[in-house]
Amino acid sequence: MDWECCWDRDVVALGDCPNIREGDEDLLESPRRRILEKCCDCPNFRRDLERFQTSGHPLGPVFSLIHDEYRRQKIHIQSLLSFLDSKSLEIRFFHELGSVLQSSVDLEEVLSVALTAITAGRGFGMNRAFLLMTDHQRDHLQGYLAIGPRNFEEAHQVWDEIASNDMDLQTLAQSFRKNKLSAERAKFHDILEQISVPLANTDHILIKALDGKQPLLIEDAYHHPDVDPAFARLLGVDTFLLMPLVSRNRRVGMIIADNCITHRRITAEDMHSLETFTFPVAFAIERASLYERLQEELNRVTEAHTKLKEQQELIVRMEKMALVGRITSSIAHSIRNPLMIIGGFARSMLKNTPAGDPKRNFIESIVSEARQLEGVLDEILNYSDSLYPTKDFWDVNQLVETALRDSADALHARGYESTFSAGSELPPAYIDFKQVSYCLRTIIQCDLNGTGRRRVMHIRTHREGDAIVIRIQDHGRYLPQAELDTIMMPFSSTQEMGASLGLALCKTMLEKQGIPLNAQSVPENGIFFTIVLPIRKEEQ
Amino acid sequence: MNRLLVVDDEANIRLLYAEELADEGYEVVTAAGTAEAVEKLREAAFDLVVLDIKLKNESGIDLLQKLVKERHDMPVILCSAFSCYKDDFSAWLADGYVVKSGDLSELKQEIARVLAKKAQRQRAGL
Repeated sequence: MDWECCWDRDVVALGDCPNIREGDEDLLESPRRRILEKCCDCPNFRRDLERFQTSGHPLGPVFSLIHDEYRRQKIHIQSLLSFLDSKSLEIRFFHELGSVLQSSVDLEEVLSVALTAITAGRGFGMNRAFLLMTDHQRDHLQGYLAIGPRNFEEAHQVWDEIASNDMDLQTLAQSFRKNKLSAERAKFHDILEQISVPLANTDHILIKALDGKQPLLIEDAYHHPDVDPAFARLLGVDTFLLMPLVSRNRRVGMIIADNCITHRRITAEDMHSLETFTFPVAFAIERASLYERLQEELNRVTEAHTKLKEQQELIVRMEKMALVGRITSSIAHSIRNPLMIIGGFARSMLKNTPAGDPKRNFIESIVSEARQLEGVLDEILNYSDSLYPTKDFWDVNQLVETALRDSADALHARGYESTFSAGSELPPAYIDFKQVSYCLRTIIQCDLNGTGRRRVMHIRTHREGDAIVIRIQDHGRYLPQAELDTIMMPFSSTQEMGASLGLALCKTMLEKQGIPLNAQSVPENGIFFTIVLPIRKEEQ
Repeated sequence: MNRLLVVDDEANIRLLYAEELADEGYEVVTAAGTAEAVEKLREAAFDLVVLDIKLKNESGIDLLQKLVKERHDMPVILCSAFSCYKDDFSAWLADGYVVKSGDLSELKQEIARVLAKKAQRQRAGL
């Protein structure tokens, strides 16, 4: 019998068999593989088999039977392979999803992953997903976040975008979180805001599903006896899936998923897959929420610890200051008395010593040194006083006017003129009047080295936000900034104990009240002192 | 001649005050503590008292309160090594407050001022 098919040849050439194309060359010399892979489906072979069946040979019908069975089995195997492939993909997806959910403690990341998984084509492929969260303080189930397109055009744009970027789930979720989370939240804001159901409302389909802890597939929602028509209209679809998120017995929230664009039927298989997915999501959301709360508590505790530490340091400092206070009081009594006796008797002797007496110089030296020591003692005691300021609300313009009046003689003696521009409608400042007055007088009267061109002092007050600024411009002085900074440093080693110590004392005194004192030297314009006074009581 | 009573626990300060104030034309009597001061005040009349605040284990403020109560016509000037008592309400009962210094000008000025005020009050019959 002449066969149409080449199955009976051991070796065929390329072109002899219509089913063998380039790339299949290894089949040319392998009759067994060629018969199984190509001939069984070849029309020539089928015709040869029919001819053989009708040839009267007793094996003819048997071969046809075997051939049919072989083809049926082959199709079945292919279908099983395809099923296995899809399950492998699903397992890989669940594995990927599980890894991301298990490793994340960031609530936004968890939500992004969950909603992306529901709507991504590689995931469950739903068109749209809403996440509702349980607000335990208000006892409400509340719309929180949604993802998906709002119309057909947008849907195609999103799907094309996803198709062109071959990203894994985590990358997809990260990209969503980074680029789209806020936009999606805003996009569905109108719907999310309206989904707010009291947990006590057990008649509502959402609460029913949540309490039942089972997913619900709602079909024909507009006519469903358990679905509020207003709720169905709000979602705008007649078929949707409700997936409660429950972690142990705690109601975490709910996912509503639908195919509002494609209207693809939601199958029972979809529902079961999503049901498997909701448990890790609920667990991850709860864990992330707890972590967030834990983090907040930790921050609160850390803050409290820092505050406590600061308070402890303050107490230690205050104890030290109290000690300084006691020491300086003791100094006042122990030093001032002998000092006044020495200085007093020296002055008394000086009065009775004639001008030409050689001892007069020595006595004058004692008087002068005793006076200087008394000055230093005053500064130290003033510093001690400055450690305990007493505050109240005071009129700043009045304060400046008084200080200028008290300093008038000293300024006049140095050939100074002074002007004052009082700010209008200034609120009272919260300060220690005595200390700030002392500082103001000291700054106005300070006797710094370095001479400017004009002996003019201009003082100005004005309001700046929550503060009142006193600006003193001393045209009559000029010092390099570095030297001025040194002078402003309390008890600096480079500084002589004398008149200029007053400025450093002022700085310390004001800083104790939280009042900054800034001194800036500007060539040609003199020295600018700026004092910023608060107008409110500070929070303790 | 105005008679002054100086109360201070330091002997050298009493000596200095006595010398300097006598030079100013005052008759000066001194006391080392409150008990002695009360005794001196009982023995003779004084025009003014210069009173230290810290007197060993005693307080000049206590004596000041006693004097204000019993001898309100006799002015008192507090003279202390401490400036902080200036803000003490009790110290405000005194007619003057001077921080101790080798330069006694301020004390002398304060004594003159207070005595002039007292004389003015007496002239006015108050």
